[in-house]
Amino acid sequence: MSEDPTRRDLLGKVARGTVLAALGGAAGFLVKKAHGQIVWQVDVSRCINSRLGETAAEACNLCTTECVVALSAVRAVNEYFKCGRCNICPAYFNITSAVNEQGQPSEKLCPRDAIARKPIGKVDPEDPANNFYEYIIDEEKCDGCGKCVMKCKEPLGLGSITLRIRYDRCVNCNACAISLACPHNALVQLPIDQALQPAEVKRPG
Amino acid sequence: MQYRHVQVIDGKGGLRGIALDRHGQLYAAGDSEIKLFDASGRLRRRWSTSRPAWSVAVANDGAVYAGQLGQIEIFDGGGKLLNTWRDEKLLRRVTAIGFTGDSVLAGESADRAIRRFDRGGKFLNNIGKNNAVNGLLIPNGGVDFGVDAQGIIWAANPGKHRVERYTPGGELLGHIGRFDGIDPAGFTGCCNPTNVAIHDAIYTAEKAGPRVKAYDFSGKLQAVIATDLFDANCKNMDIAVDSRGRVYVVDTVKLAILVFEPVKV
Repeated sequence: MSEDPTRRDLLGKVARGTVLAALGGAAGFLVKKAHGQIVWQVDVSRCINSRLGETAAEACNLCTTECVVALSAVRAVNEYFKCGRCNICPAYFNITSAVNEQGQPSEKLCPRDAIARKPIGKVDPEDPANNFYEYIIDEEKCDGCGKCVMKCKEPLGLGSITLRIRYDRCVNCNACAISLACPHNALVQLPIDQALQPAEVKRPG
Repeated sequence: MQYRHVQVIDGKGGLRGIALDRHGQLYAAGDSEIKLFDASGRLRRRWSTSRPAWSVAVANDGAVYAGQLGQIEIFDGGGKLLNTWRDEKLLRRVTAIGFTGDSVLAGESADRAIRRFDRGGKFLNNIGKNNAVNGLLIPNGGVDFGVDAQGIIWAANPGKHRVERYTPGGELLGHIGRFDGIDPAGFTGCCNPTNVAIHDAIYTAEKAGPRVKAYDFSGKLQAVIATDLFDANCKNMDIAVDSRGRVYVVDTVKLAILVFEPVKV
């Protein structure tokens, strides 16, 4: 008598294997989530405020308006190694405001005054254009509105400022309210080690 | 002065730098090749460079200089390689080339300076390096400059919103330009202008939003040549000007060269 499996046997085994694999994957995801290892993060390549090629006039502020956490769990983060440290930074100044006596824009961009700057190295009082600045975001003031992110984006800036979720604030909702509202699906769930990587920003000096 | 848009020349692939020879033929550098267009914009010839070409310039004797990473290749007008100046330190990223007197100038973006060489390739001196910030401020990543009829070098210093004048020996003579985000006579954004060409005036290109302008040599704005015809994401738009005052500008996103000519009002 032949011991060869029939086609039906083979298909059955494949189907059982597929179901078991899917169940295993889902169980693993739930276990990781239960341990807090799966978290929400902003995909900066999808976020309209940082996505290259988008030239909308106004920044999207859904991260501010939709998050269930007071003042939002999203913050603007400046990656210092990418920052140009410019004298006139379009994310710091409102570059279309009137020019003051120092030859700089007279208004700041951030509506909450959440960006501070301090000179790097020796200050040249004769020619301010010789000075470099460190731009520091005050996370107690920032509400993730994205205005500075939009102005830092290439080609206007160097794209050093992006929106990131802060895990000391995020409550990791199953159905993140920002993700439900975001028209660009820019909120994604990731293992926490991947989600943290771009936000592990070392400040100079 | 007013200008009108008269022509679009397809860059036929990669496009970074452009230059005109004294016959009005247009040379374009991009990918790993040099392309030669006639005055009507038809592609006449193309030849390969050994590395991706970032800039191009044509000397009075017709030699074509192609700036690359780590080297400059020198060709005759037919594309035959005549010489290679290779120096991984002094020529790390050559984004502009020009000539003054018997010297060859190379805009070296990795070190934020202009290198001056003799015609044999011997290094003579730096230009734009002897200052408090040890170079030109180029967050945009490219050094660019033009040379006037007296041999003075006009270098874009976008981080300072200026075009600076230097002697071939590297002495800073002065500058034109200032920041202004409203008045078109100023340069806007963090860092503009990114590109400069010199002919009968100073021609500048800016990024975000892309804009091409002309100034007289005292720094007075003469014309806004173009603004809205370029892709909004353009930057480092190289400029060249021919003997008739026609202005050629690279759209670095559409990979095309837009041509503008002055209109007598």
